[in-house]
Amino acid sequence: MNSEDRRSILKCVHCGTCRAYCPVFNEYGWESTNARGRMLIAQQIDDDSDIDDSFRFSLDTCTTCGICEQMCPSGATPPDIVENARAAVVRKAGASKAQEKLKKDAVEWGNPLRESRQRLHWLESDEKEKLPDKCEYVYFAGCMTAYRYPEVARKTFDILKKFGVGVLKDEVCCGSPLLRTGSDASELIEHNLEQIKKSGAKTIITGCAGCYTTLKKDYPGELDVLHVSEFLEQKLDELDIKRLDISVSYHDPCHIGRAHGIYEAPRNVIRRICNLEEMDTHHENARCCGGGGGVRRSFSDLSQSLASKRLDEIPEKAELLVTSCPLCRSNLEMAAEDRELIDLIELLEKAIC
Amino acid sequence: MLLNRLKEIVGDKNVSNSASDICCYSSDASQVKGRPEYVVRPHNSEQVSKIVKLASENEIPVVARGAASGLAGGAVPVRGGIVLDVSGMDEIIDIDIDNLQVTIGPGVVHSRLNETLKPHGFFFPPDPGSTAMCTLAGLIANNGSGMRSVKYGTTKRYVLDLEVVLADGSIIRTGSRTLKMASGYDLTALMVGSEGTLGIITEAVLKIHPLPRARLVILLSFDSAEKAGGAVVRILSSGTIPSACEILDSTTISALKSYDPSLDIPDAGAILMVEVDGSEGAVSEASEMVKKVCEEIADDIRAARDEEESDRIWAARRIVGAAISRLDPLRNRVYVGEDVGVPIKKIPEMIENVHRISDEVGIPIMIYGHIGDGNLHTGMSIDMLSEEEWDKLHRAADLIYRKAIELGGTVSAEHGIGGARSDYMELEHPTSLPVMALIKKALDPKGILNPGKLGVDK
Repeated sequence: MNSEDRRSILKCVHCGTCRAYCPVFNEYGWESTNARGRMLIAQQIDDDSDIDDSFRFSLDTCTTCGICEQMCPSGATPPDIVENARAAVVRKAGASKAQEKLKKDAVEWGNPLRESRQRLHWLESDEKEKLPDKCEYVYFAGCMTAYRYPEVARKTFDILKKFGVGVLKDEVCCGSPLLRTGSDASELIEHNLEQIKKSGAKTIITGCAGCYTTLKKDYPGELDVLHVSEFLEQKLDELDIKRLDISVSYHDPCHIGRAHGIYEAPRNVIRRICNLEEMDTHHENARCCGGGGGVRRSFSDLSQSLASKRLDEIPEKAELLVTSCPLCRSNLEMAAEDRELIDLIELLEKAIC
Repeated sequence: MLLNRLKEIVGDKNVSNSASDICCYSSDASQVKGRPEYVVRPHNSEQVSKIVKLASENEIPVVARGAASGLAGGAVPVRGGIVLDVSGMDEIIDIDIDNLQVTIGPGVVHSRLNETLKPHGFFFPPDPGSTAMCTLAGLIANNGSGMRSVKYGTTKRYVLDLEVVLADGSIIRTGSRTLKMASGYDLTALMVGSEGTLGIITEAVLKIHPLPRARLVILLSFDSAEKAGGAVVRILSSGTIPSACEILDSTTISALKSYDPSLDIPDAGAILMVEVDGSEGAVSEASEMVKKVCEEIADDIRAARDEEESDRIWAARRIVGAAISRLDPLRNRVYVGEDVGVPIKKIPEMIENVHRISDEVGIPIMIYGHIGDGNLHTGMSIDMLSEEEWDKLHRAADLIYRKAIELGGTVSAEHGIGGARSDYMELEHPTSLPVMALIKKALDPKGILNPGKLGVDK
């Protein structure tokens, strides 16, 4: 570990503030499952070559939601340190079977969901043929939207194409599931970069918080990336929007909210359409849905328990919960019994005349 | 095997000797380190009693731990053994407004108690910076206090009765539910501040106080910390007792603004944050008095605009100790020499000496803290990868401790001794330390309760 990485671990003064906020610690109660504990473990991994399974558990149960970083008085950055420590574990002790499988699937199928359908299956075939070869903006759907919520991909593109936005002809997984869990994603990144180059796009637009943070943070060359809400916020006057007589609430996805400060763009879209009632915690204080950082895949009970607690924060007046990330939506939907969740784009689509 | 016996007492899920837990329960916010052999999370007094009996039979240490937000290593198992994490015993057992008291489990977090009491119009006055995470038993075991002790006193004033597990596993009650008690030795007071060396707190009855009807924060700017120290003497000798009286020097002000850039705090050599509370009339009278006695030496005096601004100022103040680390990416706050207390009249002299020590050793030292009760927090941040800076840090801390004792003060006003300051106990308490050691020996003959702390079992 270089001295810069070492210093970033040492930024944690072990005051314990994160105990009050870490949602995973709130579930387990063991010090090894909060940010302070994970900082100690990251240091131990650096000092010691023996990687115990309990270290993996501590690191892998972190959703990387970043509430600890938000609240940390000393300016520590636990989500980055956890991701680096996960990578160090893989380097020192090798990937777990689950990690190996995840990587194999993502590279082999182009998505970690083992979906064999064409990436652009959500587009009509005649539409595919009409796609422009070059465009200034491209829509990056991401695996979850393309395969789990294809109607959202469809509706998003229907709106975006009015503004000349294209799609990548052969998009693959952005690499987020691998990078967040300590694996290398260079093959996927190189493939997508090549596709972006071919498209001629200067700006990539995505509706997935995981893809957003990965494209923005982990891809070389500082890509110009917009969340779909940021793009559409600027186009609202050009869309024929009718006001809907409903109240909704909004869940802030951690990886666009706390990680990149995108709070107002989705809210401005919502407010143009209908009444917005905030959840009990929101903006930078929003609770995590429980799905991020690989937790949903590896610790489904934990993930669902976190999702239930997030759903408890929906205000009574809200008829729908809107979010702007397919992973958050999917995780919350699994825990929701009688609550309806929709994507921001679906709300917008309802309001466009 | 001890592990199995522990599992029989608390269940498999509440015992760990995994590498991750051994690592994570080896420290608190101080530089004191020590690896436990087992971490146990009990959920009631009977379990604690059985664990302590087991430890006594096997003569292995038991170290109670709440949130481990401590700054002196009080909860660190410096001689190994069992760490008893009581943070799961977090029930607010009874709120008895008519008798002005609450009964709580040891793991109740400080802020949660006050949030629960607020709708009743009451509060538990000790107000540590670690309110968001520290547990009440930790606060009691350290006799912690915080920002409002200048008027309301320290935690010991509010503890009426404790349930304590002694070193042989027996469970005792130390006091009563009355607001006064004059029958026998004050074992409650003995346990408060004993840092888990005499017994383990498993329940507490605490006195509560009505919330004041009004509060006002006044910010006074000075060109130097020494002048601010002089102002404190003036305020207190005028007969005004503020509910809080905090000093921030120029470096601390920068740290505060770095944490919350929207805070409207003047850039000055030092600031006093003075809070007065009570009825509307009392607040008005006290604030006028503060202004009057300070106008000659203060460069600027202004009141917080509203309660929202006051709350934000206090919220930022609470975390400023750690926020110092934000000022320089290469440096981190290290908690040593950070909690001295001196008689009020000696405050300016102590500040002067801290500045002298800073120059002499060649390490920047910032000053903040509860100056109204003579408690100065000194903050040093260093490049933790530099051995030279560690040496300077320890040298400066040593000089600060010795100067505080020389001025008739203490090496710890509220954070405790733990394993970090036990070497100074003899210097501070030359005649009473042997008595403390006798008490320790009488109550814990096998020396299993938090050994290696307070200098009582060398």
